[in-house]
Amino acid sequence: MRRHSFVEQAGALTFSAVILLSFATSNTFGQTNLSEASPLELKKLSLEQLMDVDITSVSRRPEPLRQAAAAVQIITEEDIRRSGVTSIPEALRLADNLQVAQVNSQTWAITARGFNSTVANKLLVMMDGRTLYTPLFSGTFWDAQDYLLEDIQRIEVVSGPGGTVWGANAVNGVINIITKSAKETQGLLLNGGGGTEERGFAGLRYGGMLATNVYYRVYGKAFDRDGSVVANGADAGDAWKMGQGGFRIDWNAPGDNLLTLQGDGYGADLDTVSTAHTHLAGGNVLANWSHKISDESDTTLQTYYDRTHRSITGAQLVEDLHTFDIDFQYHVRVAERHNLVTGLEYRYTHDLLQNGPGLAFLPATLDRNVFSAFLQDEIMLRENLFLTLGTKIEHNDYTGLEFEPSGRLSWNFTTNQTAWAAVSRAIRMPSRIDRDFFFPSKPPFFLAGGPNFESETVIAYELGYRAQLHERLSGSVSLFFNQYDDLRGIGTSTPFMIDNNLEGETYGAELSATYQLLDWWRWRAGYTLLQEDIRVKPGKTDINAGHSEAIDPQHQFSLTSSIDLPRGFELDSRLRWVDRLNYFAGGVASGSVPSYFELDTRVGWHVTKNIEVSIVGQNLLHNHHPEFGAPGPGRTEIERAVYGKVVFRF
Amino acid sequence: MTFFHKKQRNPGICRGRLAQSLRFCLASIVALFLIGRLPAQAPGQPAQYKLEAVFLFNFAQFVEWPATAFPDPETPFTIGVLGKDPFGTILDEIISGETVKGHKLQVERYRNVADVKNCQILFISTSEEARFLDILARLKGQPVLTVGESEGFARKGGAVRFLTSEPKIRLRINIDTLTESKLTASSKLLRLAEIVHSEVK
Repeated sequence: MRRHSFVEQAGALTFSAVILLSFATSNTFGQTNLSEASPLELKKLSLEQLMDVDITSVSRRPEPLRQAAAAVQIITEEDIRRSGVTSIPEALRLADNLQVAQVNSQTWAITARGFNSTVANKLLVMMDGRTLYTPLFSGTFWDAQDYLLEDIQRIEVVSGPGGTVWGANAVNGVINIITKSAKETQGLLLNGGGGTEERGFAGLRYGGMLATNVYYRVYGKAFDRDGSVVANGADAGDAWKMGQGGFRIDWNAPGDNLLTLQGDGYGADLDTVSTAHTHLAGGNVLANWSHKISDESDTTLQTYYDRTHRSITGAQLVEDLHTFDIDFQYHVRVAERHNLVTGLEYRYTHDLLQNGPGLAFLPATLDRNVFSAFLQDEIMLRENLFLTLGTKIEHNDYTGLEFEPSGRLSWNFTTNQTAWAAVSRAIRMPSRIDRDFFFPSKPPFFLAGGPNFESETVIAYELGYRAQLHERLSGSVSLFFNQYDDLRGIGTSTPFMIDNNLEGETYGAELSATYQLLDWWRWRAGYTLLQEDIRVKPGKTDINAGHSEAIDPQHQFSLTSSIDLPRGFELDSRLRWVDRLNYFAGGVASGSVPSYFELDTRVGWHVTKNIEVSIVGQNLLHNHHPEFGAPGPGRTEIERAVYGKVVFRF
Repeated sequence: MTFFHKKQRNPGICRGRLAQSLRFCLASIVALFLIGRLPAQAPGQPAQYKLEAVFLFNFAQFVEWPATAFPDPETPFTIGVLGKDPFGTILDEIISGETVKGHKLQVERYRNVADVKNCQILFISTSEEARFLDILARLKGQPVLTVGESEGFARKGGAVRFLTSEPKIRLRINIDTLTESKLTASSKLLRLAEIVHSEVK
């Protein structure tokens, strides 16, 4: 088993958990709605497509339900295809347990359970087990993350702490982007299209066999994306272009060994809202060896190297980051009742900055080491009652040893209903923006990083319920209460100093339901409630009285309809409503992003087995609307967009 | 709330024929909703077997049989099901009216292996799990593509095994068995399957 799956990792060590989760939280009917698809329709599918059909439909024989005591939503490849999304951050909108806001054509603010910003720092994001993380601010540069969307198998989105298994940064959630195996991507795929915002894009993938049980794929893609606009409708000047290519080789070697070698490289040129221009380049190579020792035990060894280059000409800031990571884990079932997972990881980052006259990260060059080990035991208390206890011990160069324990209990009280509860502690270790950030880049400083900045901590209490209530209806509810300490703020000293000067509580609920109204018509709804009380710690100060950490919608709601029409047509629509975001300056209300409704629609047509055409309309309800950012004439807004796309598969 | 304002901006449309259409639509949706809710619907065959049935039909096209498999041009192409039939009527629906290289497709059901005659594809049901080694032994060398789901089916001499423990069906093909049975699978099929050899006893 590969490291890359939360579900596998988190103790739900059989696929049945995925199956259960897929039931409960997502739409796993595969390329075709199999449960009642007519024989005639099925006969039209190619062998490849048949291999791609999910048999995890509601009518499948009951699987043993396993615990997965976490708020997980799964975005399937089918969800991605039918939504018409064109980027990974956009695909994340499909998870109802995330707060996703598009700031401009390149920048996204994405978080779970609050604290959103363009440099949001409480989410751990991975692709095939490789951390998509910048030590600059403990977050993700979304503009540098891309893939051929057709080759993404699923995205697992976990809201709530994942620190016990995944470590620092998995404070409020974990996103796991999992690409398909090379075997699942055999043959040729070509796509291309264009429209108003997606000015032009094209992708190519070819998968073949190198030898018996050795499969490979190579891919390339490129796009040219239009800029967003400012409030008066004028172009914001943030158009950009990107190209990416990569490969993957999987060898199903004798003796239950699975070896994977994969890599990607990319480059992008971004015009930015200011006069600056950004150039991005990077690449990674990853090797994974999974070995099944017996039905009871297996090991995984994974290593990767990742480098990114980002140069912002206007700000004269250049960053070169090298990340090396090696990770080993061992899973064994002991004495029938214990499912043990243990792991060791080492990560080295070498971060090299060329600072401009404006802002600076000092020291300019920094090497960091993180060592960690974790142990987790899933204990079967009774046939349908599982207790998972574990902790991660992590050593980082900033704060030394950190502990991230958790306890989770799940109860499968009927074959298709699961209730779970969890208590966990997670931390966000300091990043360069917390300690090494200075403005301007030479003294006297106006703003300075805190030399004693410590890890932010959370203790999270969660309750959840997941059910397949009826053959056609499934749903899930998650409730959480989080207590935070040592949150980041900016003290009102001279210079302003970054400090652990905030604390607070958040609570909320995440609901989702899927209803197969008819064999050819599926509905899905999601709702998220989020309440935040962030305040200044006694004896401390903050320039915005803690309000900067709570720019989140209190409510958000989505409704998705997916219709299979005759003759290979598909009609999908997704309506979302996001509550207003309140902004404060100096602790005083300064305006808002109004609440908004938006609608995306896709019409697709499988012309033949091999050709699929679609027309997608995005953000159809407004000419342009803001999703994030303090009010002002320069705030960027997202425009209505329409594009057409053709996909060939051979 | 711009969403609602936009609708009101065009009141003319709502009053006329569109309003009628909308009402009709609404009524239809309510009707569909009611139909969709009827829980009394027969559950139907498990999705897994629906898919497996389509695979069986595909095998007929992606595998070549030796000429000896068809004594004369009129010999139908037979897909046999041995033991408890998991397919219901699906397999019959799928092959209905289909031909393979001029041979009409048909489905035969057998109680035990002695009844198996002139069959090109034989699906061995899990009901025969305890006996599948004997069944395979009796068919050894005959131009019959044996298909099963039992543990070890392919490695112990079956031609094709459906692996169903994951959300997608995977195929495991024993290349030795194909050779012994004088069957040739197309590269397209082989490429999508996991290839194994017979276990040496």
